[in-house]
Amino acid sequence: MPFSRGPLLPGTLNRDGAGSPDAARTDADQFGELVHAVAQDRDRSAFAALFRHFAPKILQYCLRLGADRSTAEELVQDVMLTVWLKAASFDPAQATVGTWVFTIARNRRIDRLRKEMRPAPDPDDPAMTPASLATPEETAQMVQSSRQLQDAIETLAENQSEVLRRSYFLEQTHEEIAEDTEVPLGTVKTRLRLALGHLKRSMRDKA
Amino acid sequence: MTVPFHHPDDQLLIGYASGQERAGKSLLVATHLAYCPDCRQRVASYEALCGNWLEELPCAGDDGLDALLDRMDGLLTAARIQQEPAPIELPAAGRTCGRLVPEPLRSWLPDAIDTPTDDGSWREISKGVWLSGWERTLSGTTKSGTTVRLLRMASGAPVPAHRHTADELLLVLRGAFRDEYGSYGLGDVAHYVAGTDHYAFGASEEDCICLFLLDGDLIFLDEDGNPL
Repeated sequence: MPFSRGPLLPGTLNRDGAGSPDAARTDADQFGELVHAVAQDRDRSAFAALFRHFAPKILQYCLRLGADRSTAEELVQDVMLTVWLKAASFDPAQATVGTWVFTIARNRRIDRLRKEMRPAPDPDDPAMTPASLATPEETAQMVQSSRQLQDAIETLAENQSEVLRRSYFLEQTHEEIAEDTEVPLGTVKTRLRLALGHLKRSMRDKA
Repeated sequence: MTVPFHHPDDQLLIGYASGQERAGKSLLVATHLAYCPDCRQRVASYEALCGNWLEELPCAGDDGLDALLDRMDGLLTAARIQQEPAPIELPAAGRTCGRLVPEPLRSWLPDAIDTPTDDGSWREISKGVWLSGWERTLSGTTKSGTTVRLLRMASGAPVPAHRHTADELLLVLRGAFRDEYGSYGLGDVAHYVAGTDHYAFGASEEDCICLFLLDGDLIFLDEDGNPL
């Protein structure tokens, strides 16, 4: 834990002020440090802290997607073991720990619950088009497109975001969503169409 | 143009990111991602959205997972850090002429995509248009799954009139083709929903070769528009 060595303002006698670096630290930074401690030092207390935060969420995720309790627990164990083994491959510049854990959980449950392989590009594949091959104009467009998508995600209406979440993250059918949220089926379909339209408008060069 | 121009719909990208999309269309989306840094970024944004949704899942206070953490202690001791996988071996030079098809599709294909049309690996469906003998049925949204093949079009050769009962998707792996909406080159995706009429023809000097996905049946039509 870095100790604050900043100059104290006159009259400031304690270090608990809002300006201290610790107050500005986000959850994301703290989880990143825990993963780093697991990777570097095989730190079991850091692993336990990650487990206590993420294991209940992975369990809920698997139960919601139809796993029974014992399969869900096996999946939690699989995912957390992968966190332990692959901690060194976590890159905080690419994703938050929560997103990284989600991708591991997603892949493991496709493997275990659907008994399917998830096709994915291989980042070491020499046939992959690197982002650096894009022209400066294309790169500028990509940066803009990414920002526009972020804006679009953040400005989704609450009820549209909820239909998106249930449909894609929880894999509910339109009928299940209508029943759970107590809205007519037609409204569910309309909200989903509006949500996708809102995201699509942020897509670059839409043909 | 060095990166693709025609991208998969957001519906496919978010379905791929969330894991909701099944294997057939995921294979096409993932192969498009290898060509398209822009869509890789979009998928990363959607994965981050799913990461937030994971964080927001309500958790029961007493979830009984402490015992699991205790049990994992022994596993952590026994688990060895896995070695980094060996670098991928490039296929022999003869496997593909021109540009290598990227993963994940490359591992699925039996041969180079541009084998001669008279060596038995292609079936001519009309003059200058072939379907690959290679064919896989992967899981899809419908019970019958998604059929995956290669479609090959010689320069100027039109794909015969056909009707499809569900989604049809093309991903260009070599050359280019045109339809009424535009021109499609390397890495581009064309998505036709059920019931739409469209035409397509090869529009490059070399034969255009596409990954060709079909949910449901493909019915070729005669000159009067009746099923053959």
